[in-house]
Amino acid sequence: MKRSYLPVALLLAVLMLNIIVTQYMVHQYFYQNYVNTIVAGIMNLVLFPLAFLIYKKGVNVHD
Amino acid sequence: MTAKNNKIPYNEDNYTHNINRNNERKLDRRGFMKTLVGAAGVFAVSSLPWGVLAAKELNGLGDKKYPKQKITDVKSLPIGDAVDFHFPGEHDSAILIRLSEEKYVAYQNACTHLRCPVFWKKDEGEMLCPCHHGKFDVETGAPTAGPPRRPLPEIYVKVENGTVYAVGVKRYEA
Repeated sequence: MKRSYLPVALLLAVLMLNIIVTQYMVHQYFYQNYVNTIVAGIMNLVLFPLAFLIYKKGVNVHD
Repeated sequence: MTAKNNKIPYNEDNYTHNINRNNERKLDRRGFMKTLVGAAGVFAVSSLPWGVLAAKELNGLGDKKYPKQKITDVKSLPIGDAVDFHFPGEHDSAILIRLSEEKYVAYQNACTHLRCPVFWKKDEGEMLCPCHHGKFDVETGAPTAGPPRRPLPEIYVKVENGTVYAVGVKRYEA
């Protein structure tokens, strides 16, 4: 059984994006750019279902 | 008897050593991906309060609104003079200083050290707290000398039809 590590790499990329977006969000809040803060927050919210989809697709892949 | 002791845990009626702990703490690929998805979820949840706070700021709910209040008439306040008033509440003493023909500044005049009233020294052009000789810059309210470390809270003023009104208090920024 050969496993695919592509989903793992994708999830790691998602986590990296999460970190970047979160820091951007906090900084934009303190720079009082509140629209950017909300955009970054929505990005973070969207990344979670994306991560879940990658997980769902990746669990049963054995090729 | 000997056969039992050679093999631990032995098979017969074994109720105490029947837990197989092999690989129990192994983190496999699936478990690792689950952890990553969970981390993404934590990030998503933790970004919610920031969004709420930002939306609150955008809607202007962070700024407190006070009804505008008449301070004095322009005619009765010569350039360089000051007048005391109370804003926004009747116990929040404040001072209005006329710096030039058009420029007025107002601050809540409780010294940020120990809340003594701050006075306008016209001939020296600075605001002085007599208790411990704290001094404040009249243009910005920033402390320039003495014990106080924080600026005086600024009050926004507006001139309409020869009357000076107090319209709001600047938000405190640490």
